[in-house]
Amino acid sequence: MSQDHDQAHITDTSRVHVDRKEYWFIFLMLFILTVLEVGVVFVEGISKGHIVAVLTIMALVKAALVGLFFMHLNHETKIVRWGVILPLMVPFFYAAVLIADAIVRLA
Amino acid sequence: MSAHAEAGHHDHDHHYERPFDQWPDDAHTGHASMGKLGMWIFLLSDAMTFAGFLLAYGILRGGADQWVGTVINEPQEFGINFTAGLTFLLICSSVSMVMAYAACVEGNRKRTVQWLLVTILGGVLFLCGQAQEYFGTFEFIFHHKGLIHDGLIFGESHRATTFYLITSFHGMHVFSGTLYLIIICYRTWKGKYDGGNYNHIEMCGLFWHFVDLIWILVFTFIYLIPA
Repeated sequence: MSQDHDQAHITDTSRVHVDRKEYWFIFLMLFILTVLEVGVVFVEGISKGHIVAVLTIMALVKAALVGLFFMHLNHETKIVRWGVILPLMVPFFYAAVLIADAIVRLA
Repeated sequence: MSAHAEAGHHDHDHHYERPFDQWPDDAHTGHASMGKLGMWIFLLSDAMTFAGFLLAYGILRGGADQWVGTVINEPQEFGINFTAGLTFLLICSSVSMVMAYAACVEGNRKRTVQWLLVTILGGVLFLCGQAQEYFGTFEFIFHHKGLIHDGLIFGESHRATTFYLITSFHGMHVFSGTLYLIIICYRTWKGKYDGGNYNHIEMCGLFWHFVDLIWILVFTFIYLIPA
């Protein structure tokens, strides 16, 4: 029965978002950001703090592009979208608290 | 006959369950299927595991007086260019995954299988790359005997231990994701997802994109941040 169940759907795909141009554009953005990330590491004369900040921002932008466009979060309902994004922000918030704590204690 | 009416006819004749996208939209989750929501919940719990590892790594690294070179002969860096290649590979496989999804939505079985095979190839090559990075499995191509040979030994320093823990945990995800893709590809080839029945491919895609997303963070925090 399960085999039949898998095979026989006639599915309404009219509401499904498919945009190949968008997918290739996101791929291009991810590629450029990766090249920039690697390039930043080899640039001399930038402080470590600045490098870490720039790399973190670029990584978060790349992760957001994958989540929103490849995983189609931008086409989900607000509750699903924020139900995914908010829990994922908790570790970053915790990291920020730890970094702030370390800065205060070292000052 | 509309797709809805036709599906209802199938339901009546063959006792099929109603296809996931033909339930009325939920006020909170729209037309997301149960499987898709379940996959998101699993991915969130998985993300917390990775977050725990990365935070532990950050705390150990941030609190260390010296991070690199605490063990004699330990390599100073991990080989950023090689790993950037692996990152590019995963990004490519993410694109091929969405192309497989797009082909499935359009009901093109042949294209779906082709793009899934490309995605599987990406996963296999990534695993080969990781084997090369650890063990120098493909030394005859890359002329490098691997990080273990270079002196980065699990358990000998926090740097080595966190590196192997996080990257191998990610590698396990790539391995299981590749197996998942192989099964989905076989089922697609057998015609299980014809007629725009894209739900399983979308769920598999969510897992694969998650693997890519995690690698983006691992690549930045483990490989790129300078000593």
